[in-house]
Amino acid sequence: MIGGTVGGTTEVLVAVAALADLPLLADALGRFFQPRTFARIVVEGLGKAAVYFILAVGLTLVFGLMGVLNFAHGAMAMLGAYLGGVLMVLALSGGAGPFTTIAFFFVVAAVVFALLTAVGGAIEVGLVRPIYDRTPMYQILLTFGVALILEELTRIVATLHGVQPEPQWRAPMGTIPSALAARYDILGANIRGLYLFEIVLGLLVATAVWLFLTRTLYGLYIRAGSEDPEMVEALGIDVRKAFTVVFGLGTGLAGLGGVLLMWDPLWGPSVLLNIDVLLYAFVIVIIGGLGSFKGTLVAAVVVGVADSFTTWLFTTGIVPNPGLPAVTIFLLLVLVLVVRPQGIFGVEEVGGH
Amino acid sequence: MSLLELEDVHTYYGESHVLQGVTLEVESEEIVALIGRNGVGKTTTLRSILQLTPPRRGTVRFRGEDVTGRSTHEVAGMGVGWVPEERRMFGYLTVEENLRVSVPPDADFEARRAYVYDLFPDLERFRDKEARNLSGGQQQMLALSRGMVGDNDLLLVDEPSEGLAPMIVEQVVEALREASAETTMVLVEQNFPLAMDLADRFYLLDHGVVVESGSTEGVSADDERIRRYLSA
Repeated sequence: MIGGTVGGTTEVLVAVAALADLPLLADALGRFFQPRTFARIVVEGLGKAAVYFILAVGLTLVFGLMGVLNFAHGAMAMLGAYLGGVLMVLALSGGAGPFTTIAFFFVVAAVVFALLTAVGGAIEVGLVRPIYDRTPMYQILLTFGVALILEELTRIVATLHGVQPEPQWRAPMGTIPSALAARYDILGANIRGLYLFEIVLGLLVATAVWLFLTRTLYGLYIRAGSEDPEMVEALGIDVRKAFTVVFGLGTGLAGLGGVLLMWDPLWGPSVLLNIDVLLYAFVIVIIGGLGSFKGTLVAAVVVGVADSFTTWLFTTGIVPNPGLPAVTIFLLLVLVLVVRPQGIFGVEEVGGH
Repeated sequence: MSLLELEDVHTYYGESHVLQGVTLEVESEEIVALIGRNGVGKTTTLRSILQLTPPRRGTVRFRGEDVTGRSTHEVAGMGVGWVPEERRMFGYLTVEENLRVSVPPDADFEARRAYVYDLFPDLERFRDKEARNLSGGQQQMLALSRGMVGDNDLLLVDEPSEGLAPMIVEQVVEALREASAETTMVLVEQNFPLAMDLADRFYLLDHGVVVESGSTEGVSADDERIRRYLSA
């Protein structure tokens, strides 16, 4: 406690000193208004947003339709990261060209997505279905229990194979193709190719989910079920089956997000992903509005850009505190909860839940 | 064989024993009204038929088949439609999407849509509007349409005139007559004259049991046997 206070005081002093360092501040401000700074904040922000969106969208779909807060969502992303990492490392141990690597990434992503969709469907049928009639506390305890079990199992399996379960298993990062590891000049800013790749993937996933929800009959049933599952059932549609499908797809999307994290130096396969991903996914769906697809998309962009802006503030030394991005994101969460508790696009009550 | 039979149906909400042995029959092509004061179990009877609140005792038979304890979507799939109290629109879906959900996937959506748009031109006009932005009357028309576009042999209609202006009620009554030409109907209605006017037969419920029943012909609210149960 005392150490914390002293540390805190030191940080404040450093911050004050930095703020007092006017030439530095003026320099930083000058740089902020340059196109390359702007490009960097926006492109990196959108890259982060894409990752956040993929990690959060499954959570919001499941809550929207079923009213279930899936606390095992982060664990599914963790499994996705490890599974993706194992597959990539095994397949590319002999080395491969950039195109083969990227093609293989998509194959691995599809495999992990399919596998985790099946796992999610099985969890819904076997574990969640028997407790729909109980209070949400049961669902929270159950899914959180699943998350803890998966985290510990992963820790055991990783350790048995001589892999450090935390902070990160770095081998999969070695499989990133040079084209994505390289930096590209955008309006004078040096931007890692991975961010651009993440933006493309985020757009692909958002479009696919949006088309599924708005252009297919099953998507229509899901949207109707999000409002009033009992009414949908009374129209002759098996809502329970839709629950299984959506829980499966939500889980699969978390796994897909995990695969993407495998190459990201800020994340990487680690048992810490269980809680970290869960936190970020919850922050995004709460800011966007629980159950809202559009809200999740907008919140992911807001959080992603805020994250990249505060990261820039830190790396330029304007605010010398590495915790700034995380603090800002949680401040955003608090702000939304105070000003608009249902989230940006949330309705007061979702689906009668 | 009656289209619908309820035999000694007992339904509970938690500990509350709402239906205490309801027995009734509905023949094909008739309109049967369920009447009675608030809270006597009219809506619960409809919910018990659809297995939304499954009975704990007794049997519900549809076309001679025991459907007690089946899932709601199966019963609905056999041809039982529901026009619930307070309409229960999918408010964030458009009028057209509300209809699309209600038409079985293998049926001809265009034809069924045209049928209700013909009946309710307002719905066609607002086809791309979200249902929550419709007026109460338009919502009731959409609720009825949702029941009418399905493959339903039996329509359970709950309080269709509730909260509507008299002019709109007339339109709804017209639609109900139109619908009844195609399907059998069980109608829960607080408006006694309207119920008697539309229905062929009635069942009067009190405290979860049927206390009176018969043809609606010549029945008025002044009848001693009716008044006793309807006045508060």
